[in-house]
Amino acid sequence: MDEYKISIYKYVKMICLLGLLVQATLLKAQDVIDLSGTWGFQTDVMDFRRGSLSPRYNHVLQGTIKLPAITDDYQIGYQNPYKYIDRLTRKYEYMGPAWYQRDIEIPADWKGKKIFLYFERTHWLSSIFVDTKEVSSIDYVSVPHNHDLSSFVKPGKTHRITICIDNRFQYNTHKWNHAHTEFTQINWNGILGDMKLMAIDPVYVEDLQVYPNITDQSIKVKLRVNNATKKQVKGKVSFAIAGTKYSLKHEVALVSSDSVSFVEANIPLGKHIKLWDEFNPNLYRISCQLNTSDGKNSYQHEKSTTFGMREVKQGKNHVLLNNHPIHLRGNVENAVFPKTGHAPLDDASWERIMMLMKDYGMNHLRFHSWCPPAAAFRMADKHGIYFEVEMPMWGKDAEPDEARYNFFRREIKAILKEYGNHPSFVLYCNGNEITGNFDFIEELTAEGRKADPRHLYSGSTARTRVKSDQYYVSQQTNKGPVKVYEGLPGTDWDKNVESDVDVPVISHESGQRCIYPNFDEIKKYANSPVEARNFEVFRDLLQKNGMLDQAKDFFRASGALTVLEYKAVIEALLRSGKSAGFQLLSMNDFPGQGYAPVGIFDPFWDSKGLVTAEKFREFCAPTVALLRYDKSSYFNTETFKGKAEVYNFSNSTLENAKIKWWLSDTAGNVLKKGTLKKQTIANENVSPVGEFAIPLKNISSQKVTVHLAVNDTIKNSWDIWVYPKHQDLMQSTDNVLYTEVYDDVAKRQLAQGKTVVLYPSPDHVKGRKSLFHNHFWNPIMFAWAPMTIGNLVHHEQAMFKDFLTSYHTDWQWWDILNHAKVIEMQNAPQQLRPFIQVIDSYDNNQKLGIGFEAKLNGGKLLVLALDTKTDMDNRPATQQLLYSMDNYVKSAKFSPQVAVDENFIQSFLTK
Amino acid sequence: MLKTVVFPMMTFLLGSTLMAQEIRIERKAPVSQVYKETVEAESILSFNDLNVEFGYVLYQTEINTDAENEELELENVRDYAVVYVDGKLQGTLTDQRKKLTIKADPGTHILQLYVENIGRITYGPEITDNSKGLFGTITLAGNDLRNWKMIPLNVRNYPLKDLVFERRASDSSPGFYQSKFEHNPSENSYLNMTGWGMGEVWLNQKYLGSYWEEEKQQSILIPSEYLISGQNELVIFELKNNQQKKISLSPTPVFK
Repeated sequence: MDEYKISIYKYVKMICLLGLLVQATLLKAQDVIDLSGTWGFQTDVMDFRRGSLSPRYNHVLQGTIKLPAITDDYQIGYQNPYKYIDRLTRKYEYMGPAWYQRDIEIPADWKGKKIFLYFERTHWLSSIFVDTKEVSSIDYVSVPHNHDLSSFVKPGKTHRITICIDNRFQYNTHKWNHAHTEFTQINWNGILGDMKLMAIDPVYVEDLQVYPNITDQSIKVKLRVNNATKKQVKGKVSFAIAGTKYSLKHEVALVSSDSVSFVEANIPLGKHIKLWDEFNPNLYRISCQLNTSDGKNSYQHEKSTTFGMREVKQGKNHVLLNNHPIHLRGNVENAVFPKTGHAPLDDASWERIMMLMKDYGMNHLRFHSWCPPAAAFRMADKHGIYFEVEMPMWGKDAEPDEARYNFFRREIKAILKEYGNHPSFVLYCNGNEITGNFDFIEELTAEGRKADPRHLYSGSTARTRVKSDQYYVSQQTNKGPVKVYEGLPGTDWDKNVESDVDVPVISHESGQRCIYPNFDEIKKYANSPVEARNFEVFRDLLQKNGMLDQAKDFFRASGALTVLEYKAVIEALLRSGKSAGFQLLSMNDFPGQGYAPVGIFDPFWDSKGLVTAEKFREFCAPTVALLRYDKSSYFNTETFKGKAEVYNFSNSTLENAKIKWWLSDTAGNVLKKGTLKKQTIANENVSPVGEFAIPLKNISSQKVTVHLAVNDTIKNSWDIWVYPKHQDLMQSTDNVLYTEVYDDVAKRQLAQGKTVVLYPSPDHVKGRKSLFHNHFWNPIMFAWAPMTIGNLVHHEQAMFKDFLTSYHTDWQWWDILNHAKVIEMQNAPQQLRPFIQVIDSYDNNQKLGIGFEAKLNGGKLLVLALDTKTDMDNRPATQQLLYSMDNYVKSAKFSPQVAVDENFIQSFLTK
Repeated sequence: MLKTVVFPMMTFLLGSTLMAQEIRIERKAPVSQVYKETVEAESILSFNDLNVEFGYVLYQTEINTDAENEELELENVRDYAVVYVDGKLQGTLTDQRKKLTIKADPGTHILQLYVENIGRITYGPEITDNSKGLFGTITLAGNDLRNWKMIPLNVRNYPLKDLVFERRASDSSPGFYQSKFEHNPSENSYLNMTGWGMGEVWLNQKYLGSYWEEEKQQSILIPSEYLISGQNELVIFELKNNQQKKISLSPTPVFK
C-alpha cells in the first residue's frame, strides 16, 4: 500500500474521506448452508395449491427430489407418447408450478445478520414460503434469484421453507426465446447450480462494480453498501487486487448512517498492470473487505470479483478493444444442451466450448435471445472470447405490453449488474429480430448505455435501427445485404460497401447450410431428457423408401458440401475488412425450428467428423491467407489469375513476410510455383499482397490446388478444375442415339437392343429445379426451393472415368447442377440408383436423381436431365461430364442392370 | 464516461444546423423508363410467380367506381405497397394494414399499386408461405379486381446514365430524381432522407443505399471517396412520392 490518492463519493448523506494506511485483515468466511441434497417435492399440474395455499396449513410435501436438478431428471411430468418432428422430443414434459420443501434450522449465531436464500439459476418464477407465509418472489430469467429472508426467519428456530418454482411463461414473451424454449434447452422446472442459505453482517457490500481505465492504468470501483443497523457506522474498505505476479492493497474509510451508501474509489494500478484481450486474457481479482462498527458491534463483509483491464469503444467499422479494431469471428449460441436439457452451470462444460471456439479459430459467441450463467463468462474471461448477450426477447416482444416491458426493464439492469464486471461481456443487444415499438427498444438501449459504459449496445439484431445503436448485427443494412449464406465458384467479392454505415456491422446468422441427419446420433440421447424421435421418423421413412443403406452417404455428402460452403462464406466475410465480423449459424446443430442440422458439430458439441480443426483454421483464424479469383472451372487454354490478400486481425504485424504460391495436382506434385514480394503485412486490416497468374496449359489432372502461404505458417488452399475444350460432343452413331425426346425413333433404337442417351431439356422434366447449394437452414421450417440437401455422386462408377469427382459435389459441379432438373424416381425399381443422386428433404426422403441408367425394352438407356445447350462455351465442367458420359455409353462398360418400364420414363417428362 | 460520449455529439449536432448543405432537386425521370416486360393475367401474380427475387413490381388495372369513396382491400401485402389512382397518391399498405379508401369521382380510372419487397424476411405463422408481392384477392367495394398488368421495375440494375431526366413537372408519380450539386468540402457525410417516402439513392452513379420513412433511421452514409470535388450527381428513386423539392447533408446520422 502506498500513497495512492483516494476518493470516496457520498450519495445519500455523509461519508468521510480519510487516507488510512491499514492492512486489510482476514475475516472469517460468510456463514453458508449448502442447500443441495434431498428436498420434499410435489407437482401441482392443476395449479391449485398456489390458490389454496396449502403451505398455510404447514402440510408436508409427499414426494422427494434431489437438488440441484430439473424435474426431467426424475421423470416427473407427462410421459410423452409423441414423436415431435420439428424438434427433439422431451421424454417427460412439465410446465406448471412445482413445490420443493425442506425444514431448515437457522443457526442461533445468525442473530442480527442478513439472511439470504440463493439459487444460481431457476425457471422462472421462484416464490418462497416461510412456514405458512409467502414472503418473497423473483422472476428473473437471466440471473440468480437471491431472496432476502432476514425479516421472516428467526435464528435458533427451525423453519419449514417451501419453494414454488413456476416455469410457465410469466409474461407473454416469444416461445422461441432461447432462454426458455422447448426448441433448444427445454423450458425446465427446477433449481440449478449453487443453492444456499447465507448469513452476512448487516453492513455489507451489496454491489461491487469495477470500471477499468486503460489510459490511466487505474480502476474506478463503485460499491453499494447496505446498512441495515439503522445506526451510524464507521470503518474502512480494504481492497486487495491480485493477478499473476501482481498484488496491490488499497484502503479507504467510510462513515455512513444511511441504509444505502455508494462508495467510489479510483485505484491506480501502476504500470505493471496488463491489459485483457483475446490474445492475452490477463485477469485480476479484486476483493473488497468491509470492516465497520457502530461503536458497540463490529461488522465484517467481503465481496470479490474478477475483472480484466479492457475498454470497449465504437470504431468506424469495428469494435475497438483497448483502442484497437477487433474482428469478430463468431458463432451463434442458441442454448443447445440436449444432454442435460439446460445450460450447464459448471466451468468444465463451458471451458470445453470456449476451447472448441479457439481450436476452430473463433473469438466470439453471440447468445441469441438468452444470457448464459456465470460459468460461461468465467471461461470466456479465461480464454479470451468476446460475448454478445441478450435478453429473452424476440419477434413481437416489443409490441406494447406494460407488464412485459417492465420485465425487460428489470432484466436488462439485472444482467448488467450480475455480469458487468466480466471482460468477456463486450456486446449487449436486447434480443433477436424484434418487431413492435422501437421507442421502447431505444429506451432500453439508451438506458443500458447510460448505466454501464463497459459494453457496446444495440437495439435489435436484423431489424429497425435505433439512435443509441453502437453496433448493428444484421442480414442487411440500408446499403444492401451483409449476410452470406452461401459461396460462389469465384471469390472476387466481399461485403465492404454494404457494411460501411454509421456503426460497426456484424454479419447476422451467416451460413445455415443443411446437412442430412446422422441417424447414429439417436443412441446418444439414452440418458438425456430429450430424444431424437424425429430422427426415428426420418429413418423409418428412408427405410420404407428403400434407401436406408444410403443414410450415412447422404450425411457425408451433404456434410462435405456444408464444409466447403462454410469455407467460402467465412472467407467472403474475412475479405470484408469493413465488416466488424460475422456470426455463423452455426458450428453446432440447432435441434428446433423444424430441426436444422447445419453444424459441423452435433447438438452435443461432438464433431461430426466432416472437417478437422486444423483445416478449419486455414480459413478461420486471426490470420488467414485469402485469394480472389474469378471462377473455379477453366479450360486448359486459360490462365488462372489470383489476387492474394492477408486477413490479419492478430495482435502483431507480419514483418518481412515471405509469401509463396504453388499449384499442386491430386497426387501432391508441385506443378508451378512462385513468390510474391516480401513485405510487412499490417494487422487490424485485410491487405492486398500481390497478384499472380498461372497459365493452365498442359495441366491434365483436372483437379489442381492453388496454395498460398505466408511465412510457411499461414496456409490456405483452393481447388480449381482444368479441362480441355471439347467439340462435337453428343454425336449419335449407329449404336448410340442422342435424343432430347422419348419418341418412336428412340423406342425403335431400344427395341433393337441399342443405346439411347436421353437428355431432355430441363423445361420438359417435371419436378424440382436443381441447385448447387444444399437447403437453407432446414426444409421443414422453410419449405422453399430447393428442398434438397445436396447430391451424392456415385463417383466410383464407370461413367465418371473421365470426369474427376468425389462422392460429394464440389465447385466444379456449379454449372452442371445449376442447369439441371431433379427427376422424381421413387416409383422406379428399388434397385435403381441414379448415378447423380439428389438428396431429398429428410421429412420426404424420396429417391431423386439428375442422371441414371437402365434397361428398357431390350435396349440400354442413359438419362441426364441437363441443359446441354445454354452457354456451353463457358461451361467446361459440363463439357467434360458429357465427354466422360459419351466415352462410357460407347464402351463395353455400359451395361445397365436394372430394367425400367416405359411408364416410368413418361412419368417424369412433361411431353 | 458519459460526458465524453455526450458532449462531442452535441457539438456535432450544433454543427449540423450551421453546416447542413441543402441540395435542390430539379430534374426527374419517370419510372416508366425502367419498366421491364409486362405480364398480363386475369388474377394477380406474386413476385415468385413473376420470377422476381427482390425489388419492385407495378400492379396495374382499370377500375370502375360508383361512389366517391370506395374501399380497396388486399388479401396479402408483402411487404409495402403505394397506391395511385390516375397518377395521384392515395396512400400506402402493409401486411398489417391492408385496407384503403379510394377517393375518385365515379367512373373509370387506372389503379396502380407499386409494391416493394426488399429483404424484409417474414416469420411467424406465414413462415411456410414465403410468397412475396401481392397475391390472393384484391377487391374494390367488395368486387374482385381482375385483368391485371404486372410490370417488374428495373430499379437496382438500370444503367443510370441511360435515364432521361427532364425539368420536373409537378406530378406525384414514382420516379427518379436527379440533382447536380457542388461538393462543399466539409465533414458532411450523411444524406438526410427526412421527408422522403421510400426508395433508393445513387451518388455519382454509385449505389448509396435505401430509405423508408417508416424506419427510425433516416440517413444514409456517404463514403468520403464517393464525393468528388466539383460537380456531384445525386439520383433518388422515390416510390411513394412525397413531392420533396430538396434534400440536405448532415454530419451525423439522423434518427427519428
